[in-house]
Amino acid sequence: MQLVRNWFNKISLDRIQLELMNTAYGSGHASLSRLDPRGLLIWYLFYAIVPWFLNSYVVLAGMCLFVIITTVLSRVTPFIIIVLCLGLIGQVGWLFIISLFFGGDISSALPLLKLTLKLSIVSLASITVFSGMDPEKISDGLLALGVPAAFSFSLSYGYRILPVLFEEFRNVLLSYRLRGKAPERHGVLYWRLGAYYLKLLVYAFFPLMLATAKRSRTTVEALETRGFSYGMKNPAAKKLKLSHLKLQRRDVLFLGGSALYVALLFWTSASFI
Amino acid sequence: MLNPNNETRGPVIDIRNVSFTYPGSELPVLNQVNLTIEPGSFTAIIGGNGSGKSTLCKLLNGLIPHYYSGDFEGEVHIHGQSTAQKTVAQLSRRVGYVYQDFDNQLVRPTVLDEACFAPLNYGLPDYKDRALHALELCGLTHLQHRYIWELSGGQKHLLALAGALSLGAEILIVDEPVSQLDPSHARQVYEVLQELNQNHGKTIIVIEHHSEFIADYCQEVCLLDQGRVLWKRPVTAALNSLDDLERLGIQPPEVTQAAAYLAALQDTNIPMRWNPNNKQAQQATYPITTETAIPYFQRQLQTLPNETPAPWVSTRSLSADDNHQPDNQRNPVIQFNGASLNYRTIRKAERTVLYGIDLTLYEDERIALIGNNGAGKSSLLKLIAGIAKPSDGSVAVLQQDTRSISIEQLSRDVAFVFQNPEDMFIEDSVRKEIAYCLKRRGYPDADDTLQRMLHSFRLEPLQDRDARLLSGGQQRRVSLAIGAAIRPAIMLLDEPTANLDLATREELLRTLEELNQHVRTVLIATHDMQLVHRWATRVIVMHDGRVLADGTAAQVFANPELIRRAGLALTQSMELSAALGLQPPCGSPIELADRLNRILTGKEIHPHAARPQLV
Repeated sequence: MQLVRNWFNKISLDRIQLELMNTAYGSGHASLSRLDPRGLLIWYLFYAIVPWFLNSYVVLAGMCLFVIITTVLSRVTPFIIIVLCLGLIGQVGWLFIISLFFGGDISSALPLLKLTLKLSIVSLASITVFSGMDPEKISDGLLALGVPAAFSFSLSYGYRILPVLFEEFRNVLLSYRLRGKAPERHGVLYWRLGAYYLKLLVYAFFPLMLATAKRSRTTVEALETRGFSYGMKNPAAKKLKLSHLKLQRRDVLFLGGSALYVALLFWTSASFI
Repeated sequence: MLNPNNETRGPVIDIRNVSFTYPGSELPVLNQVNLTIEPGSFTAIIGGNGSGKSTLCKLLNGLIPHYYSGDFEGEVHIHGQSTAQKTVAQLSRRVGYVYQDFDNQLVRPTVLDEACFAPLNYGLPDYKDRALHALELCGLTHLQHRYIWELSGGQKHLLALAGALSLGAEILIVDEPVSQLDPSHARQVYEVLQELNQNHGKTIIVIEHHSEFIADYCQEVCLLDQGRVLWKRPVTAALNSLDDLERLGIQPPEVTQAAAYLAALQDTNIPMRWNPNNKQAQQATYPITTETAIPYFQRQLQTLPNETPAPWVSTRSLSADDNHQPDNQRNPVIQFNGASLNYRTIRKAERTVLYGIDLTLYEDERIALIGNNGAGKSSLLKLIAGIAKPSDGSVAVLQQDTRSISIEQLSRDVAFVFQNPEDMFIEDSVRKEIAYCLKRRGYPDADDTLQRMLHSFRLEPLQDRDARLLSGGQQRRVSLAIGAAIRPAIMLLDEPTANLDLATREELLRTLEELNQHVRTVLIATHDMQLVHRWATRVIVMHDGRVLADGTAAQVFANPELIRRAGLALTQSMELSAALGLQPPCGSPIELADRLNRILTGKEIHPHAARPQLV
């Protein structure tokens, strides 16, 4: 029981906020963060789409190995990895159990393994990109690749107000707790307490939205006074904003290396199987 | 006073016969406004709530009429050009605006990015130099790589200012800088504004109702009432227009009040001098800053005969200690035993906000927790409410260790009222808001209590409105009613006077008296020294996560060194009485005037007069 309680204490909102902020902005020293965001986004596009069309275990395993390495390089926080593993195991484990019910046996695990591999590659590639680059770079990269300015700005602004939203959310939750009533008995595995917290999370959503709406009034006005909508229509402003992006030797090396590696994988798989 | 040089250049802002009505509203917010502002001036705009101050300022960067489409009449000229033909974006290059809720104005993650934001939008190639220059003007250069959420409130405000300066705006509008900042940070912001005004020729307009700041920094004052400009006067004349200010609920500086009270007292003292037709007393120019007030009052005191022999005895110094009973006769309600508190920060570092606090708080105390921002006041309150648990040591509330019980259980005895009342609102009407806890926890006489709370906090007429849409003062009353409804043994208030105008503040003080009938121990975290002086029986001074001093208000205020170290500002009355050698210092202008009057009429002996005999 104590173990469950400890878990409850560990999963605090502060903790989640901190981990998210670390994932987003704590990447200043990661070696991937020095790469050009445009290159990295194209790289990501490849790793997010291509695995779905592959069938070879060798290629998939090789790609998976590669994204594991890049994930390590992007200095991701353990929290994200735990969430990812829980998600993968939950998802695929669930499918496996269902397949047993419908007359499957251990052999049905193999195709599921393939699915797991594909999911892992895509997830790890996402983590590499979103954890290895801070949102500013991603936003600049997207803008450079022709995504509308409003979208790329809202990505970076979303991260800016994340701590503000968390603060607000924490206060609303706290208001509920300070004036509410927790279940007196915890129930087996603290399920009553868990249900109580989940209910609060849902209740807290409405006040949070209202508070945010009130906040955004100033933000929208301030954006106007600081020439944001003017800048969106101004190609010179966009060019200036992106002038710091330069494709360098290391970008070419990284992209070239990746391409070579993938080509090697395909060749290996074609010649040995 | 017009500078002849300015005459030739003409006014930088010229508002002619402007009326404006927000869409969907019946009443005009601005009603035939006429106002000119000279280049290089430092003007304060004052007026009661809803008098149209912010709306007036939104005329200047074109948000009205371009962004808000209401009924607009009249003309606004900036540098001789009409705003009707310019866009908000064009006007914003000349007019910078810092909002009251400046936190929502910052849209980028780091300080440098934020300063670059506007020049980048305009596509100015030298954006980085502009940003760095603006940061330098605001004294933020050393913070340029920090994230916004790592900054203090004062630094954020300065950054919002830098964001406006980076475009090279010649006119800066700052909306109520003091209301969201603690006094030392507010002064820091004003120092920067003064520097920008004097050495960089910026025209500065502040919306402000703290007249002490107006007196210290502004040159001109413009008074607004119900959408009209009543007058624009030089600061000394403006703050001496006591009748107008009183009528609109704006407090003149404390020293001005004291001087006016004293003059009135003297008039009644000496009937021979009293002359109902003598308007001089009302027309007289009283000092508006502490610096000018000290010589003013010293001159009056010099008229005293110097041979008074008796040693001076304080009339009040002991009274504050009267209710200090021996500790063993009192019931401790909160005990801190070496309690510390650490937070984790984004870079995986631990930050300690409270270091080994040992404190015992007793029943029936009114405790004021003072200290500047970041001193650990809020953290201390959170430890008591069980919102944060001590990282080391322990906190016991009513003999229960806070670590062993949940927030829900603890909050039956401890009510916590947030600094921002809006954070407490979870329902869609005031009535439901107060009833939420009573119903949820099944208090036996919930309906009776609800009625009583609505009545005693004067919320009956507002009970069906959404609390989020009420004014600041009303919201504060709702938050207090929510806290008091469960009849807690302990009530914790975080900065209850922050962000209130002065009339609302007076009302809050009355509400606090009301609270005493419902609650046994009240703890307030604040930097409002007047509140402390008028209300508290015990004052705890915090600094850098430690308790610096603990005593009565009189003891604490008698120690200027302590106040300075804690980064606090004394009220003008206290400063003035200290400068005049009155011990203990007087907390309010009335008290000061009364005291001076008794000295002048020989009922009390002035210490300086007595001193020559003692040496």
